[in-house]
Amino acid sequence: MIEVKGLSKRYGNLLAVRDVSFEVQRGEVVGLLGPNGAGKTTTMRMLTGFLPPSEGSVCIAGHDMQREPIAARRAIGYLPETPPLYPEMRVADYVAYVAAINDVARAARAEKVEHALTVCGLQGLQRRVIGTLSRGFRQRVGLAQAIVHEPEVLVLDEPTSGLDPIQIVEIRNLIRELAQEMGRTVILSTHILPEVEAICQRVLLISFGEIRVDGALDEVKGTGSLEDVFLREAGPRPAGDDADDAPA
Amino acid sequence: MRHVGAIAGRELRSIFSTPVAYVMFSVYLVFSGFAFFLSLTGFLSALQQIQAFQRFDLLEQFNLNTSVIEPSLGIFSFVFLLLIPLLTMRAFAEEQATGTIELLLTSPLTIWEIVLGKYLAILVVIGMLVGLSALYPALLFYYGDPELLPTLAGLMGLFLYGAAFAAIGCLISSLTRSQISAALVTFFAGMILYLIDYFAELSLQGTSQQVVRYLGLRVHFDELVSGVVKTDDLVYFAVVVVFFVSGVRAATESLRWR
Repeated sequence: MIEVKGLSKRYGNLLAVRDVSFEVQRGEVVGLLGPNGAGKTTTMRMLTGFLPPSEGSVCIAGHDMQREPIAARRAIGYLPETPPLYPEMRVADYVAYVAAINDVARAARAEKVEHALTVCGLQGLQRRVIGTLSRGFRQRVGLAQAIVHEPEVLVLDEPTSGLDPIQIVEIRNLIRELAQEMGRTVILSTHILPEVEAICQRVLLISFGEIRVDGALDEVKGTGSLEDVFLREAGPRPAGDDADDAPA
Repeated sequence: MRHVGAIAGRELRSIFSTPVAYVMFSVYLVFSGFAFFLSLTGFLSALQQIQAFQRFDLLEQFNLNTSVIEPSLGIFSFVFLLLIPLLTMRAFAEEQATGTIELLLTSPLTIWEIVLGKYLAILVVIGMLVGLSALYPALLFYYGDPELLPTLAGLMGLFLYGAAFAAIGCLISSLTRSQISAALVTFFAGMILYLIDYFAELSLQGTSQQVVRYLGLRVHFDELVSGVVKTDDLVYFAVVVVFFVSGVRAATESLRWR
């Protein structure tokens, strides 16, 4: 579903992401792990076509992001780090707008919006103005806009940040449902390790712009804990490294 | 191009969900009403003096078009100078500040659809302002007999002037995240384009004067307001709009690289 080959991103002299390659199969939930500033957000922005890579290619559901950007972007639902919300809009109008610009047919729109809102636990809030919602509900609206056009691939940048424990559990259940019952491919970034253990089958650990670990959760953990792996692999490499402080 | 409607629709609803739009319309109605009232009373007192001094030979110099409609449109255009920066400031700067631009640029939209959708919404608002401006000449048509075609040419001039100025405002808005700086810079840019005509008249001569005057918005606007529809004025407005809207496209595209 997702094919990334030799992806690099350079900001001036700074190499924020260097030669990242991986593949994600349909229905997989992959956790993109890494310390702050490791290049997670930059990687995701290249996956979704927001940033053009300096080198390498991204292929989403068989569409190359450089050559067929429209088809590739249509196959993606994306929740950026800060949900891209218009505070003056009403919840249902906003989700319907995102459906419209993602080519959801007019006839099917109302139903799909209703479905996305229900799945994200936003029933009864359709008429609320987004600016008046709490942080947790805004995050859910962000998630609803990511899934409303039923994309094959979901890219979620820290989907549970700023939520309370109950909301975190709900969002995790939702992500698991999307992958298992609807066959969606999910790649989510986080630096919360228990989150990865709770929902991901596979771990990609990225640090200083490089992939350090790529494997199934159980293999990666081995006999120790994920925390041990993280502490062992996420540190700087002994050889001179110029990729720290990548913009988030 | 099929998403232009969706983007323009959202933009319009957004414009009218903030108080800025209503303040803008109220301010416009107050100022334009006052300007129209002054032009009309000036016209009436001139007629009274002609009657008092029995100089009926001067009458042919006075008519509703040149004495009331033209000066009113001139003042309306000055009010536009204050209002259009308020209308265009948020168009692109706000999306950059709140991060919603990331939604647009990762959706299956072309950059032209984004830019034209937003510009179209602004044109609709300018069209509404021009529609409101048309109410004043409409009153004159009810009570008097001004000429229709020069009046329509003048209103078209007001719309084209607004559209050209808005294109400049959109480009400035797309270059910054700060709405206030967008509004200020747009206002000063508009001032320069509005006043460059007077500077040229005062300080330049010959060809250079004509070139500089041609660059300003005023000359082309005045031609249309006086009822003269010439191709070169229409071309001027078309070129300004196309040039600056293409600039917005380039600036929005470059957000991916910044």
